[in-house]
Amino acid sequence: MLEEIIQNRYAVTAVILFGIGFTNLMLQQNLLRKVIGFNIMDSAVFLLLASLGYIDGGVAPIVGDRGFDPLYINPIPSGLVLTGIVVSVSITAFSLALIQRIYRRYGTIEMRELLERAKKEDD
Amino acid sequence: MSKKEEQPDRLRQFISWVDGDREPKDRTLFVMEQRPHRDFRPSEEEFERREKDRLRKFFNWYPIAAAVICVALGIILFTTVMNMPGFGQEDNPINNEVAERYLKRSEEETGSENVVTAMIIGYRGFDTLGESCVLFLAVSAVMILLLRDRKNTSEHELQQMEREETAAQGRSDLILKQVAWVLLPFIFLFAIYVLLNGETSPGGGFSGGTILGAGLILFSAAFGHGHMRVLMNQRRYSAVRTFGLLLYAVLYGVYIFIGANGLPNYLTGMILLIDLAVGLVVACTVYGFYALFSRGEI
Repeated sequence: MLEEIIQNRYAVTAVILFGIGFTNLMLQQNLLRKVIGFNIMDSAVFLLLASLGYIDGGVAPIVGDRGFDPLYINPIPSGLVLTGIVVSVSITAFSLALIQRIYRRYGTIEMRELLERAKKEDD
Repeated sequence: MSKKEEQPDRLRQFISWVDGDREPKDRTLFVMEQRPHRDFRPSEEEFERREKDRLRKFFNWYPIAAAVICVALGIILFTTVMNMPGFGQEDNPINNEVAERYLKRSEEETGSENVVTAMIIGYRGFDTLGESCVLFLAVSAVMILLLRDRKNTSEHELQQMEREETAAQGRSDLILKQVAWVLLPFIFLFAIYVLLNGETSPGGGFSGGTILGAGLILFSAAFGHGHMRVLMNQRRYSAVRTFGLLLYAVLYGVYIFIGANGLPNYLTGMILLIDLAVGLVVACTVYGFYALFSRGEI
């Protein structure tokens, strides 16, 4: 058990981070904190992807003429992390803009008050 | 005709309903739940009390359900991780023939020494085009939500904004200005270096564009909105980011055309140009987010 945890230390860290982020997303009442939880989840996924591509003793995959043939790490997860970062940035900006509009409209970003006020205006 | 009469009642109803023979209004098959009519509703206080009760019940149960889901997800993920192959081993299933081929042949096929750049711009360029579109649309969406113009803001808010702007003009931050004066040339130089060296070193469109955007943000924060407007107004901003995206689309279209028809690849500098286009889009996105969130205008 312990040996497996040490062997997969980056993946275990990623799972812990993902758990923290997901719990934040579900249990926080403040919308801003929900977005922060979402970002923590994103970081966990990036950590997992980046650690998957690593090979012990490998170098960055820049194939030049070095005179010898070194062991390169896997370039595919690095590219996938880039995609993830772009989507994460876009989603964060969009949700923050939405939260700003919600605050202007209802004067609060606490989930509970927000639902009560929205229900009241609904009728 | 006789066959139709033998069919069960429900089925015949359904068939005629699909054919449109019958008005679906009078005897609908799928009845939606209807709210009680306004006249028969309970009084205002009764209704409000009931709604509050429902909300309270929801907020009593929600944390418990959420906690159960979180714990269950955590356990599932942890078991999965325990069964994963070890970290950093060469014979992991992820290091398969795809990565091997990219590493072996990317230099002759795309002309880029950096395999990650070759992959995201060359082999998976369509994916990166989608990413650029995501960034473009994100800025557009934030602009829809936050842009302050006559339709979007009340008179009171406009006045308050003007007051804030005059106050900001009177106040000048000496340290920020001096530091920006020293740092800005180097930031822009570094951004150009990273943009142009995506092929041979770590870097490329995304990182270079982000550094360029950071430089623009520093300029805007130090020397004020007025100076920034000389360099970049809303029209020019929209033109630049649309140009970046279009340049990418056209270049990648040419790339696909050449590859699909087996034409000889004359365009060896293609990766560099696509990197520049991505850099433009990313820089505009980063600066646009800052400007829209801080002032509500470009």
